[in-house]
Amino acid sequence: MTMNAPVYHLTGVKKFYNSRPAVDIEKLSIPQSSITGLVGPNGSGKSTLLNMLAFIDRPSEGIILFKGQKAEPYSDTVRFRVSLLAQEPYLLKRSVYENIAYGLKLRGGDSSRYSKQVNEALSLVGLSSREFSNRPWYGLSGGEAQRVALAARLVLKPEVLILDEPTASVDADSAGRIMDCALMASKEWGTTLIIASHDWKWLNEICGKVIQMFKGKIIGSGIEGILFGPWIPGKSGEYHEKALADGQIVKVPKPPSPEASAVIPQNLIVLDLHPPALKPGEHFLKGVIAQLSLEPYAQTVMISIRAGGQTFTLRIPQEKMREPVFFPGQIVYITYPLSAVTWY
Amino acid sequence: MDFIIDGLLQAIQLLLHGDGETYSAVSATLRVSTYSMAASLLLGIPLGFLLGHNDFLWKKHVRTIVDTLMSLPTVLVGLLVYAFLTSRGPLGEYGLLFTLEGIAIGQAILALPIVIALTAAAVESMDEKLRVTLVSLGASRRQVLYSTLWEARYGILAASMNAFGRVLTEVGIAMMVGGNIKWHTRTITTAIALETNKGEFATGVALGIVLMAIAFIVNFSFSFLRNRS
Repeated sequence: MTMNAPVYHLTGVKKFYNSRPAVDIEKLSIPQSSITGLVGPNGSGKSTLLNMLAFIDRPSEGIILFKGQKAEPYSDTVRFRVSLLAQEPYLLKRSVYENIAYGLKLRGGDSSRYSKQVNEALSLVGLSSREFSNRPWYGLSGGEAQRVALAARLVLKPEVLILDEPTASVDADSAGRIMDCALMASKEWGTTLIIASHDWKWLNEICGKVIQMFKGKIIGSGIEGILFGPWIPGKSGEYHEKALADGQIVKVPKPPSPEASAVIPQNLIVLDLHPPALKPGEHFLKGVIAQLSLEPYAQTVMISIRAGGQTFTLRIPQEKMREPVFFPGQIVYITYPLSAVTWY
Repeated sequence: MDFIIDGLLQAIQLLLHGDGETYSAVSATLRVSTYSMAASLLLGIPLGFLLGHNDFLWKKHVRTIVDTLMSLPTVLVGLLVYAFLTSRGPLGEYGLLFTLEGIAIGQAILALPIVIALTAAAVESMDEKLRVTLVSLGASRRQVLYSTLWEARYGILAASMNAFGRVLTEVGIAMMVGGNIKWHTRTITTAIALETNKGEFATGVALGIVLMAIAFIVNFSFSFLRNRS
C-alpha cells in the first residue's frame, strides 16, 4: 500500500438482483479525505453501490479494494472504519443514549468516557443531551431521529462516512445541521465523505467530484442530460428521433433498442446565443436558461438549460462568465454531435 | 345459582385456610409449567431465530408445518407421549410415565411449535434496515445475531406468553401422561376436571381462581418488565 492509495478502488464491480444487474462499474477510485457526490434518478443503483462501499453487501462480481487491501463485509480491515447513514434512519429499540453508545460499546475502550462522547455527539447534531439522552427511540420526530442516527456515526469518528440521501425526508433545520456536521467531519477529522443526494446544487458546491449514475452505470461526472426513448426512425432513415414536449425534434443515431436511453456528454455540447450554422452530423435544440450555479471547487459555473421539458447542463469556466452574456430566462441554442450520443 | 355462590365462598375459605390438596395441585402445576416452559424456550427461541433469519430451500414448507403444529390437540400429544413413556415404549426404561417430568415433556412438545413459529415471525418482521444499521455501526456477525434477538424481544415475549397460556390451561397431557394422581401428579386443571365430576364445586372454583391468579401475575410481571425496558 502506498501513501497515495485511494481509499476505494473498484474494478469490474457488479451486483445482480434476480439476475438483473443493479450496479455495473468498470472502474472507480475515490481519493482519501475527499468529498464525492453521487447523483442519479431513483433506481439508478446509488443505494446498492453505497451498501457495497459500506461493506454491508458484497458485490456479485468484481473487487473492492479499501486502502489497497481487499475487503468484504465484517472483515477487520473495514469493520470499525466505514459507517453508513441511510435515508430513513433506523434506531434500535433503546434510549437515545444507548443508540449512540452502541457503536462505542462494540469497539470497547474506556466505558467511563462514553457519557462524555455521547453528549459531544448530541451537541454536534444540535440536540441537548439533557433533553434527549434518556428519550426512548419512539419519542423523536423524523428529523430528530435522523440527527440521532448521524450522532451514532459521528461519535465513532469514522474514516469514511457514507450518507445515502441524508436530508431527503427531514425538515430544513435538520437538513442544514446534517450537512454542516458532514462537512465538519471532513474538515476536522479528514473523514472521506460519499454522499448520494438529489440536491445536486449542494453536491456541486461541496464535492470535489460528482458521479452520475444511470441504470447501474456511471455515466459521467456531473448532471448529464438523459433522453429517454421511445425512438422512431427518422424520415431519411439515417437517424432516429423523438418529439419533445414543445414540438422540437431530438435526433440521435440508431439506438440499440427503441426504448434505450441516450446520454449526450455535457463537455461536447456547444452553447450559442443565435441559431448555429450546423456542420454535417450535428443537431441543435432551442432552449432557455433555467439556472446558473457556481461550483466553487471546480471554479466553474453550471448552466441548466430547459428544452422541451428536458434539462441539459453544461459547465463554463468561471472567468468566461465575467460578461453577463448568460442569465436565467435567456433563449439559447445547444448543439451536439450525433456521434457523441452514448446509449444505456 | 346458590350453589355457585356457595362454591365461591367455600373456595375462598379453602384458599385462606391453606387446604393441602389444593396447594399440592398448585405446586404441581407451577413445577411442571416451569420445566416445560424452560425446555420450550431454550429450544424454541434459537430454532425460531434460525427459521426467521435464514433463507433456505423448503423454508416455506417448514413454516407451514410449524404453523400447523401450533394447533396440536393436547390429547394427541398426550397419547403419543404416553406411547413413548409407557413401559413397552421406546423410553419406557426411564420410568417417566405418571411423573411431573413426563407431563413436562408433553407440555414442552405442545409449547415448542408456538415458541418457534412466533419467534420466527417476530424475527422475520424485523426491518432489513436493522441489519444495515448494526453492520454500519461495526457489529460482527455474532453481534448482529444477538442484537437482532434483543430487538425482537417484544415479539419473543409475546411468543412465550402465548405458549405459557397453552401450557397452563391444558388438561389432556396432564391427565393422560400424569394420571391425575393425588398429591403427586394432580395439576390444577386435572383437579378441576375431577372435582367437577365429583360435584365438589368449591374445590374446582378455588383451583380456577388460583389458575387465573397465576396467569394474571405472570402476564402482569411481563407487562411491567416490558414497560420498564
